[in-house]
Amino acid sequence: MAEKKMVNLTIEGRPVSVPDGTTILEAAKTAGILIPHYCYHPGLPIAGVCRMCLVEVEKAPKLAPSCATTVTEGQVVHVYSEKSLDARKGVLEMLLINHPLDCPICDQSGECELQDYTYQEGREDSRYREPKRFNPAEDFGGDVIYVPNRCILCTRCVRFMEDVAHEPTLNVSERGDRALIGKFEGRDMTHPWAANVIDLCPVGALLSKDFLNKARAWELDRASSICPNCTQGCNVIMETRENQIVRMRPRPNEEVNSFFMCDWGRLNYRWMNERNRVELPMVRRGDVFAPTTWEAAITAAARALNGKKVFVAASPMLSNEALFLLTQVMQGGTGAFRVTEGEEAPLAGVDDLALRRERAANVYGAEALGFTKTKDLLGGLKQGDVLVIAGEDLVGIDAGALTRASDIVVISSVLPEVTKSASVVLPIANFSEEEGTVTNLRGRVQRFTQARQAPGETRPSWLVLGDLLGALGKQSNFFLPSDVFARLAATNKSFAGLSYDTLGFKGLPLADAPKTAPKAPVAAGAA
Amino acid sequence: MAIKVRVVERPVEDVSYIRATLRGMALTAKHLFDVNGRVTTQYPDEKSPISPRWRGTHRMLTTETGKAKCVACGLCPTVCPANCIKLVPGEDEEGNRYPLVFEIDEFRCIFCGYCQEVCPEEAIHVGRHYENSEYSREGFVYDLQRLMDQSHPVCEMWDPEDPKGE
Repeated sequence: MAEKKMVNLTIEGRPVSVPDGTTILEAAKTAGILIPHYCYHPGLPIAGVCRMCLVEVEKAPKLAPSCATTVTEGQVVHVYSEKSLDARKGVLEMLLINHPLDCPICDQSGECELQDYTYQEGREDSRYREPKRFNPAEDFGGDVIYVPNRCILCTRCVRFMEDVAHEPTLNVSERGDRALIGKFEGRDMTHPWAANVIDLCPVGALLSKDFLNKARAWELDRASSICPNCTQGCNVIMETRENQIVRMRPRPNEEVNSFFMCDWGRLNYRWMNERNRVELPMVRRGDVFAPTTWEAAITAAARALNGKKVFVAASPMLSNEALFLLTQVMQGGTGAFRVTEGEEAPLAGVDDLALRRERAANVYGAEALGFTKTKDLLGGLKQGDVLVIAGEDLVGIDAGALTRASDIVVISSVLPEVTKSASVVLPIANFSEEEGTVTNLRGRVQRFTQARQAPGETRPSWLVLGDLLGALGKQSNFFLPSDVFARLAATNKSFAGLSYDTLGFKGLPLADAPKTAPKAPVAAGAA
Repeated sequence: MAIKVRVVERPVEDVSYIRATLRGMALTAKHLFDVNGRVTTQYPDEKSPISPRWRGTHRMLTTETGKAKCVACGLCPTVCPANCIKLVPGEDEEGNRYPLVFEIDEFRCIFCGYCQEVCPEEAIHVGRHYENSEYSREGFVYDLQRLMDQSHPVCEMWDPEDPKGE
């Protein structure tokens, strides 16, 4: 495909050069101007129904909706001219006629676009004195609840279900000022990707039942992360309140998840808040585990491993850094992991985006680093090997197989039920409590950051394993997870050339990543 | 070396204590015979009036049905400069948002009255009340029920029509 012709125009006095076919709204973004909008969303087809993005274009007879007007050569656009501000103020006044002023009890409050734009450009008060329209809240099924009073009928949700999920569920029912979002007969929001409408909704009309009344938007701490619940590796924001994850939201990444994430991944965050954690390093004294210092525990673990054949039962939730250091600790031994499986649930409107069958973050990273995927986790454990259990919970594993091990070292955040015979327990942080990278099913290496504080004396896995390597007499001077990753990139051909700096927060594919179908932008330009 | 001290000679009427003592006794005697009216307030039997804008310990107002007016919007813990309000929002039987936990630590409170000013439901108020005693520090962490049980008048804050209180 030939390079697209560039078009030059002026927006608010700033010269802008964008490819032909770009909308004024997107062009303004490149100039650092966000034109207020409700119905427009880059992941959805353009509707042009909210009239919020009206701007003045010189030599045009009337104001133009910037989301649906493409740029032309030499155009001069005024976003904040008197005429366009006046028009948008009028639109806001109309939207607020029936919008209740219940911000104090609305979950969207603080991240509501109606609040934001009214504050920026709206009237100070309403001229409307008649009673407001009232409709009761409705359970839409799935995780979605609909509060019609707050709805501004931007139809983002309708378009998402129809054009992205390809399962028409929602519609605009009734006419005129009675219009509201309704469900088609016999349909509800149980589609595995339906909860995306909650993020898409610019106001508090579509709310998550899970998050309802849990926290206010301004109380949340946010961390860029990766959804750890399947191999797709959707980019997410983990939001915490008082050190507990209360919500996960998608973070846009055109290469992986566009603007979306599935309901299963979204709601499956409670395991990261678990309280049944190992919080102190422990060594076995007789029949009990005795808490000890980190130095003593690392020394004990090194003594158990030194010069022995090691078998590692790893968890595919561990980061590339932890798995790489495990391969170093192995000293010529082998490693295996197992992965829980579920049903695949694709999102029809986006290429190569699905809730994957394999429900763990780093299955492909583990394979790239030489761990074997197996159903029989301890099958490779030979008589007399030292077993290292790394992050694996051993649920459903026959305790009898463990007797083949001459010694057991547990490096985990939760103490597995069946390992009463371990000699050392090293507590590590879980996925939400440390920094690292994971590799998704297309071989894309993506960074995740720490969202919560780790409990007790728990340390990040890369730090524990680095210390263990040092105690085994190997080179180990890792001060940051990026140091571990740099070593990984220097020693592993697939990871060559990658570093935390080049990865950024959108990730990069491995050198030998499996080829994927190129991503077509979602229904862009379709009307 | 010895320190040289210069002794200043002053007139005797300046250094005599007799004059000062008599002056003091005269003031005492004046109050003794109640020349200017009584000055002492017989607290606690008698209380001095306090300003309608006095900001004392809190009170939570209730609806006609006896429920707290609070909708757990979270503005008061956000605005509180002393960070003394603990709020955990939840849902009641009717699905309305209400506070599961609402606690104010009156020891940490600096009685600025921001909570009353920010409250969109006019639920939390600082009260015209200043006599508090407890047997333990914990007793000064007022929970929702205790805040609702308070009955003292509340602070009138400022009147937007008359911001200077004239």
